[in-house]
Amino acid sequence: MGATIDIRSLTKTFGVGPAAVHAFGPVDLTIESGSFVSLLGPSGCGKSTLMLMIAGLLDASRGEIFFDDRKVEGPRTDIGIMFQDNTLVPWRTVEGNVALQLELRGLDPRDYADRIRDLLRSVKLDGFQRRHPYELSGGMQQRAAFCQALVHEPDTLLFDEPLGKLDAMTRESIRSDLQTLWMQKRPTVVFVTHSIEEAVQLSSTVCVVTPRPGRIERRIDIDLPWPRNLEVKASARFTQYVREIQGIFHDYGVL
Amino acid sequence: MTMVSSSMPPEPGLAARLATRVAARVALALRVSWPFAAFFIGFFLVWEYSVVIFKIPGYILPTPSQIAANGWADIPRLLDYTLITGAESLIGYALAICVGVPVGLAIAFWKPLQRTVYPFLVSLEMVPKIAFAPLFIAWLGFGLLPKVIIVVLVCFFPVALNAIHAFGSLSDELTRFCRSTGAGPLRTFWKVRLPAALPQCFVGFKYAALNATVGATIAEFMGSDQGLGFYIQIATGNMRPDLAFAGIFFLTLLGLALFGAVSLAEKLLIPWHITLRRH
Ligand SMILES: Nc1ncnc2c1ncn2[C@@H]1O[C@H](COP(=O)(O)OP(=O)(O)OP(=O)(O)O)[C@@H](O)[C@H]1O
Ligand SMILES: [Mg+2]
Repeated sequence: MGATIDIRSLTKTFGVGPAAVHAFGPVDLTIESGSFVSLLGPSGCGKSTLMLMIAGLLDASRGEIFFDDRKVEGPRTDIGIMFQDNTLVPWRTVEGNVALQLELRGLDPRDYADRIRDLLRSVKLDGFQRRHPYELSGGMQQRAAFCQALVHEPDTLLFDEPLGKLDAMTRESIRSDLQTLWMQKRPTVVFVTHSIEEAVQLSSTVCVVTPRPGRIERRIDIDLPWPRNLEVKASARFTQYVREIQGIFHDYGVL
Repeated sequence: MTMVSSSMPPEPGLAARLATRVAARVALALRVSWPFAAFFIGFFLVWEYSVVIFKIPGYILPTPSQIAANGWADIPRLLDYTLITGAESLIGYALAICVGVPVGLAIAFWKPLQRTVYPFLVSLEMVPKIAFAPLFIAWLGFGLLPKVIIVVLVCFFPVALNAIHAFGSLSDELTRFCRSTGAGPLRTFWKVRLPAALPQCFVGFKYAALNATVGATIAEFMGSDQGLGFYIQIATGNMRPDLAFAGIFFLTLLGLALFGAVSLAEKLLIPWHITLRRH
């Protein structure tokens, strides 16, 4: 089970004086241990900013974040992050890029050979282990970055639009992999997405973020059975949730 | 290509094998770049026959064949001087890299230097370094040292400025990725910062390689009693432009060799970047 993340009156302002950009907050939010929380909001509302603050990679202007009652004061190394732009380095192969996560942590990739292989197979990159990022399509790169974020078996995961560049089919298949992983290990997942269906399908809770400065307008607990397969997606309740969220965005004027 | 050599009579000697491989390479190069080769040859043909047709006197513009013949007659001296100018260029170039890269590193990673030394370097970059050449000759005489210093001067800035840029421009995303793993500065440097910086460093190395022979030649013009720059100057003074051109030819070879060596090092050290650039 992952950590409980407690966010208290968190605010972020970039810059100072008249040029300052109030990007986010104030926000109070508790992300329960083992829950799957999606952040859904228009572009520029501060989702990535929130993600970085949770990871301890960006200082908050005001407020604080707690992981299981321990305050976040520097980068958290016990989590897995998939950044909005992928973090593959061009001089390493797919395999080497996944191993980079381990090597930077002082772990020996040889001890993880099986895990790396299984991970790559699960995102259908077997056969591409020895390829460099420039030999992959945008979607394949994203899948490789996905493996890079997970290889060290973190129990708290932050995903910033991980499935953005994928085609509809791969997207569906990785969603289901992600769901299976979550159901098995119950990590705490914070998941940024632009897709309402994706948020409803994967999440235990959807947080709807307002346009900048981002605030959490609504917390919607998604009460649908797991696994959320095609059948569930075709159900009336699923459609109802999607409609409800579309309605909120419509009221903002962003839909 | 390999078939040619393996089908030859029993175990051809190393020289023979090398020759077949070189021939194959040249054939391939010709197939790809024959327009260039044709232009190149055409250029010299036009030169040769223009001089003949327009009866340009040899002390003004010699023909390529005269240059080759007379240069060949003086080949021991030309080779000797090539070595001397080559040594000046190479030593200066190597020193510039040995000093420039650490300076670049220090400035990229140490904030106080960014506010003091960096702006100083940038303003010095505006000064034509070669203007110092007569001063160094006056201070240090005709020997090797002033030439090496001038080569260092003209090579140092491209190396250092590109190194600063290279080590200071890791993307936010990668910086954050490294921090999120808890890796220390050293591990981050070896695994991510250094490889990420190499392509930009090589931009500086290659630029400096072009500067090196220029610096050495001009330093020799200013005052010396040996080297290709000296040779060209003396030949010109003696109304022997054919020999001056022969000297220029060897200078060109020298420049090509240095640049080629740096390009080869780049190819070996960061093959991923070369392929990346091609896309
Ligand atoms: N380093 C920065 N300096 C100044 N302003 C910034 C900085 N980073 C982000 N911002 C501003 O903060 C706001 C939120 O940015 P953020 O990247 O968090 O948005 P987002 O919700 O992730 O958007 P998207 O969905 O397009 O990725 C934006 O308006 C942006 O202009
Ligand atoms: Mg974002």
